[in-house]
Amino acid sequence: MSNQVDAAQHAAAYQHALDVSRRYFLGRCTGIGIGAIALAVLESANSRASFANSQEPSPIGLPSLPHHKPKAKNVIFLTQSGGPSQIELFDHKPGLIDLAGQELPDSVRQGQRLTTMTSNQKQLIMPPRTSFRRYGQSGATIGEWLPYHAEVADELCFIKSMVTDEINHAPAMTKFLTGHQLPGRPSLGAWASYGLGSENRNLPDYLVLISKMQRPSDQPLYDHYWGSGFLPSRYQGVKLRNAKEPVLYLRDPDGLPRDIRRSMLDSIAKMNEMRLEKTGDPEIETRIKQYEMAWRMQSSVPELNDLSDEPEETFELYGSDSRRPGSYAANCILARRLIERGVRFVQLFHPDWDHHSRLSSWCVARCRDTDQASAALVTDLKRRGLLDETLVVWGGEFGRGVAGQGEWNSPEGGRDHHPRCFTVWAAGGGIRSGMSYGATDDFSYNVVENPVHVRDLHATILHLLGIDHQRFTYRFQGLDFKLTGVEASRVVNEILV
Amino acid sequence: MSFTTRGAFAAFILSLPVFSPPTGELIAEEPTVRFSRDILPILSDRCFHCHGPDESHREADLRLDVHDEAIADRGGYSAIVPGMPDESEIISRVLTEDDDLLMPPPDSHRKPLTETEIQTLRSWIASGATWGKHWAFEPPIRLAVAENEPSKPIDALVRRRLSEVGMTPSPTASKSTLIRRASFDLIGLPPTAEEVDAFQRDTSDDAYEKLIDRLLQSPHHGERMAMWWLDVARYADTDGFQGDATRTNWPYRDWVVNAFHRNQPFDQFTIEQFAGDLLPEATPEQILATCFHRNHMTNGEGGRDPEESRIDYVIDRVNTTGTVWLGLTLGCTQCHSHKFDPISHQDYYSLFAFFNSIDEDGKAGDNAKPYLKYESPAADGAVAEAQAWSDRCIQSESEAKEAAQKGFGDWLSQRIASITNAESNFTPWTSPIIRSLDSNEGTVLTQEADGAIVASGPTLRQDDYRIVAQSDLPNITGFRIEVLRDDSLTDGKWTRGKDGIFILTNIKLQVRKVGDSQVREIDVDKATANIEVKVKGRNYGLVSDTLNDDPRNGWTLAEDTKSSLTPTAVFALSSSLTLAADEELILWMMHRSTEGDANIGRFRISLTDQPGLAVRSVDPMPIEELAKDVASEDLSDDSTSIEKQINTKLRERLVDQFLFDHPEFQAAKQVADSSRRHLASAKKAAGKLNVMVLGERKEPRETYVLQRGVWDQKGDAVTRGFPAAILPQANDRSLSRLDLATWLVDPQNPLTARVIVNHLWQIAFGDGLVRTPEDFGLQGEPPAHPDVLDWLAVELIESGWDVRHVLRMIVTSDTYKQRSETTATATEADPDNRMLARGARYRLPSWMIRDAALHSSGLLNATLGGPPVMPYQPPGVWEEIFMGRYTYEPSPGPAQYRRTLYAFWRRSSAPTFLFDSAQRRVCEVKTMRTNTPLHALTLLNDVGMLEAAAEIARRSIASHEKMDSQLTQLFRRILSRDPDAAELDVMRETLSTSVEHFAKLPDEARTLTSIGQAEPDGEADQVTENPAELAAFMIVASLVMNLDEAISHE
Repeated sequence: MSNQVDAAQHAAAYQHALDVSRRYFLGRCTGIGIGAIALAVLESANSRASFANSQEPSPIGLPSLPHHKPKAKNVIFLTQSGGPSQIELFDHKPGLIDLAGQELPDSVRQGQRLTTMTSNQKQLIMPPRTSFRRYGQSGATIGEWLPYHAEVADELCFIKSMVTDEINHAPAMTKFLTGHQLPGRPSLGAWASYGLGSENRNLPDYLVLISKMQRPSDQPLYDHYWGSGFLPSRYQGVKLRNAKEPVLYLRDPDGLPRDIRRSMLDSIAKMNEMRLEKTGDPEIETRIKQYEMAWRMQSSVPELNDLSDEPEETFELYGSDSRRPGSYAANCILARRLIERGVRFVQLFHPDWDHHSRLSSWCVARCRDTDQASAALVTDLKRRGLLDETLVVWGGEFGRGVAGQGEWNSPEGGRDHHPRCFTVWAAGGGIRSGMSYGATDDFSYNVVENPVHVRDLHATILHLLGIDHQRFTYRFQGLDFKLTGVEASRVVNEILV
Repeated sequence: MSFTTRGAFAAFILSLPVFSPPTGELIAEEPTVRFSRDILPILSDRCFHCHGPDESHREADLRLDVHDEAIADRGGYSAIVPGMPDESEIISRVLTEDDDLLMPPPDSHRKPLTETEIQTLRSWIASGATWGKHWAFEPPIRLAVAENEPSKPIDALVRRRLSEVGMTPSPTASKSTLIRRASFDLIGLPPTAEEVDAFQRDTSDDAYEKLIDRLLQSPHHGERMAMWWLDVARYADTDGFQGDATRTNWPYRDWVVNAFHRNQPFDQFTIEQFAGDLLPEATPEQILATCFHRNHMTNGEGGRDPEESRIDYVIDRVNTTGTVWLGLTLGCTQCHSHKFDPISHQDYYSLFAFFNSIDEDGKAGDNAKPYLKYESPAADGAVAEAQAWSDRCIQSESEAKEAAQKGFGDWLSQRIASITNAESNFTPWTSPIIRSLDSNEGTVLTQEADGAIVASGPTLRQDDYRIVAQSDLPNITGFRIEVLRDDSLTDGKWTRGKDGIFILTNIKLQVRKVGDSQVREIDVDKATANIEVKVKGRNYGLVSDTLNDDPRNGWTLAEDTKSSLTPTAVFALSSSLTLAADEELILWMMHRSTEGDANIGRFRISLTDQPGLAVRSVDPMPIEELAKDVASEDLSDDSTSIEKQINTKLRERLVDQFLFDHPEFQAAKQVADSSRRHLASAKKAAGKLNVMVLGERKEPRETYVLQRGVWDQKGDAVTRGFPAAILPQANDRSLSRLDLATWLVDPQNPLTARVIVNHLWQIAFGDGLVRTPEDFGLQGEPPAHPDVLDWLAVELIESGWDVRHVLRMIVTSDTYKQRSETTATATEADPDNRMLARGARYRLPSWMIRDAALHSSGLLNATLGGPPVMPYQPPGVWEEIFMGRYTYEPSPGPAQYRRTLYAFWRRSSAPTFLFDSAQRRVCEVKTMRTNTPLHALTLLNDVGMLEAAAEIARRSIASHEKMDSQLTQLFRRILSRDPDAAELDVMRETLSTSVEHFAKLPDEARTLTSIGQAEPDGEADQVTENPAELAAFMIVASLVMNLDEAISHE
């Protein structure tokens, strides 16, 4: 990183920052006119005491949490946007080969809604475009487009019976990540950040990484996918950008030397202290702290983003694309680094899984982008002893239908959206490894065994983090909202260790 | 204690249905326990979830929200027996130790009742269990003020309450604080130094009132109020969902500013926004007002059922109405009857029916009818402004061109010299030194003696080739791929595959330091080929498609291509690349087509350092042509005569190429191009625009209760009607949106006036009297000063819904004028200042912080209205979301310095410099105030803030000669007061440290202070010869702008 201060300078600056805050503390304690309450605020600025009268918890989480002993400390959510095809990747239905080109029986379809893209065409069965094999001791079925997944099959738990209610991208992704199809609710990561905070004081609690692509995606990644909804905005995901400025406004302007910035921040703190004495407003104390945190982020984020201290074998493990900053593979390495630094929730997005046409070239391309690195992340976390406390989840907003879109037997063929079943996998953080859960019918169309609704997945993730989803609420507009909403939902205990 | 009753009220613009006047029934003595204040909140919070209005969740068939049912005999016992707490089941059930009987049940996770709460319930039952309504559903009552109380009713009522709780009000704030506070609240801008002086000098008794009147008359007051209303109206410039298409509804924004500027009565303001189209002889502006109910998001996602979207829009209108006018969470009743408030599922769809027959069909983008064709009177000003700016930029561009062309002769002579002096012929393309060749899937690549690279090994369906190369070119501007025929390939064509035709799906260029772990990606700007196919319906063909990640398109040739031409593609880099000695290039050639079996068999790679246009065309480069002419001795070899013999066409191409790489000219050209685009968009905005408005269908749609709120799950049919619990009205005729609006502002409606007055209070105090402005229902927070809220609500109605009058009452009260300083004891007693024993201190909304910076620096362009503008934003934000579909270009010239109100609002990416602002996706009425490091970074590093700091520095230096006066002036500009000695010390210290630093770094100082946009025709006023001094003052200005005080309402 061009704007990274060298290590010695960084250390010196950091020490200076510490000195400033220490001076500040000493100054305050002998200060005049500040009573007990202000001191209490100061001792624990940003901590529980100062939030005693509000709904807002401290950065180290709500005092009432966890509800029980957590299995997972952190989450890495590998979001595959667009709806990956479970039929080619995980949900093996060999019988479809014999049914190729036949019309999907109405008894299977059962009035399932179609998008207006295919509601006018015949529903002719398109068999999987690739072959499957069984892997590992668990004998997991995985399509041949995911050879690296095959190698870690015994670490993963495949939930083949995922269900959602939405059939279009934006509402489905909004539901997949916030529990409700309309924007405005907090995302899963925001809930986790709100409830549990993070141990890292130099980085936000919840970070979002988006693969750098070269084509305009058909499904924009809206920032409400990682938004805080009605929770205070500090809990929203902070997007790490693939730009000179990984966090907006992180970089000082050109021509401003770091030491001048430092002395300017010292002066701001000094004058804010004067104002604090005069007005007695404890918010000023928080402001001083946030300016210091901003200064620290200016070093910690570029340091985090700079992978040059990773050994060569890291890149070999994650694949050659990991050398390219902004790639999904590079983001997987970043995700591991964030977890190492105590960040609570990391969410990756890889776009363009929406394969309405030419599935057999487009889906393969997305597999190539993500297969090796996703598997490598699991391997890497495990060998570093981090997998036990880190929950990794892989999945998209819905699945794809068994009928071909376009000509089922031409290379042009693709698949339409399908909300009634799809596959998500999870690993680590209290999840049973080497298992498949739930099952679909012979057409990978309806769930026939152990359905897992998106809400159940949310309940389970919260459970692993030590949170009872029924009791984890936030009052807004007179109602106690929870991530899992008002309809029935459950923790999927069967997939837990 | 004496009371007044509410007086009679006039009918307004429209004739309203006739009502009996309000009864003004008053309570003479307050009983110790009041139902609405003390009892209802307990019942609501702990009991109503299962024993309330929602029948679907009702347990034991017991309702505690209805008097008769609560006391009904349930076979030997009753939940409540008036006068006999010990006989009342409700009391024994909250006291029992048996978990199976205990209420609320332990597994409901509702808090058990506290001792005090149980005691309250007991004494209420003991005193007869008098029933009442939730406070907000009772008519507001105006209490009288006694003679010995402060003459301003707000103050009298606040002080009554303060003395009840044993608190005393704070003294009045200083004049400089008062003018600053009132200016922010009423016009959203700080006062100028002159205004502060004038106010301080004015010692007349009514100096403050005069100040308030001046502010309320200012056109900026309309803008400030509009900023409130646009958040409420979820106003934005785009659709919000998939594609996020731009809409042109901004004339509605100007309508709002104007409505507040002319202080339109709030009832009329309501009526026009709900039903302007239904008014007799509606004016275009009245129809324009109905855009309020079209500001919801629209979804044009392919594959989505438009009817589902349409239902979403109707729901959004009902919910917005509920939040903004009624302060009720109607959204809850979309799916079921309200669990706490007396609004039923049926009520919801009766309201829904008012909006269900709009002549719309759920589409988005350009198909979101009904539209009003509207030409905005504000657009001409924007065109004139853009024209004037563009004229200046174009003038400066042509001057730059003229200046640049003076260098052309020398440049050309140099080129000719390099051609004629070169030992070998001029070589436009050179071969790189290949370091390694490999592939992902196993194709073997080898380089032959002539430089061509040949594929062998297995014949694969798909493969990615990786070519690692080095080059000693001083810089690289582009590369070329020639696809070569070979006899060994299929039919002597280009591949080993079935038909010999290649498909190249993607290329990628990277640079890597030898031995380094990471690569950096090199952006390719353009790809051009001499042969490609463009066949409709065929995805493969164009070479430009190799620049995306999509394997479903790419470069190929027609199967019958027999041309003897060598298929050649030229790729231009976005910017010239200079390789360090230890850096190497990595070129990826990906063959990932669906058809497969189309991997290139033989090819050659070359690089060039030829600038600009040369790599944007497959034609021979102009210099190449020149070299050829020289070599072929068409031209004599004397360089002067060569120059004269160059033909006109070649000469033009040479000039173009020269200018393409001339940095000064290119800089001027960029500015001019940007001004041209800005002018073009201003002109477009000056035409007839489509503004989304309301309009009824000829045939109304049937409305049904939607079961569980799901769009296609129709239940019973319903007709239009109003929730009886709020204000019943006979449904004896067919009702319209106009009736809905009239019902909302009916003086008998207990909610609307209270809710709006609460918003006005929030504008002046940062928080409402009810701190849940979106919820006046049973689960909302009760007001700390209910009597003040009611007094003002009645006043709003009786003043003829005069918003400005009520706002004036609020800001001229002594309560408002109190000092905001607090003491430890006061903070402890009332941390959130709910009792109002001191002035309000809180962080300003971020839009006000930006506007204040523009205003203090003198950069503000105070023009009112017109098309939206693009304030500075870090590059790439829109591009990231849409992967390049939308580009954000900051507005050039004076348009950059407009108020934030006019900033373009893309729903998928709200202006980045705003924080804690409403998201404008759905209606939001509560202010969010957080304190995070990201805010600090924004205020420290936003270009707009920094440019303002530089401008403040310039003006402060120019205004005085002595340093202390300069610093004082700078401080006053930002904070509206003089610094004290200690503050001046800190500024002096920062200034001298910075001057010292920058003196050693004059280039940095110049870079820093030239942030933002430059004047097209020359330097900004030269205020100091010394760049270090300017930079240091800029640092001090930025420092002061970042102080807590600068961004706080004090």
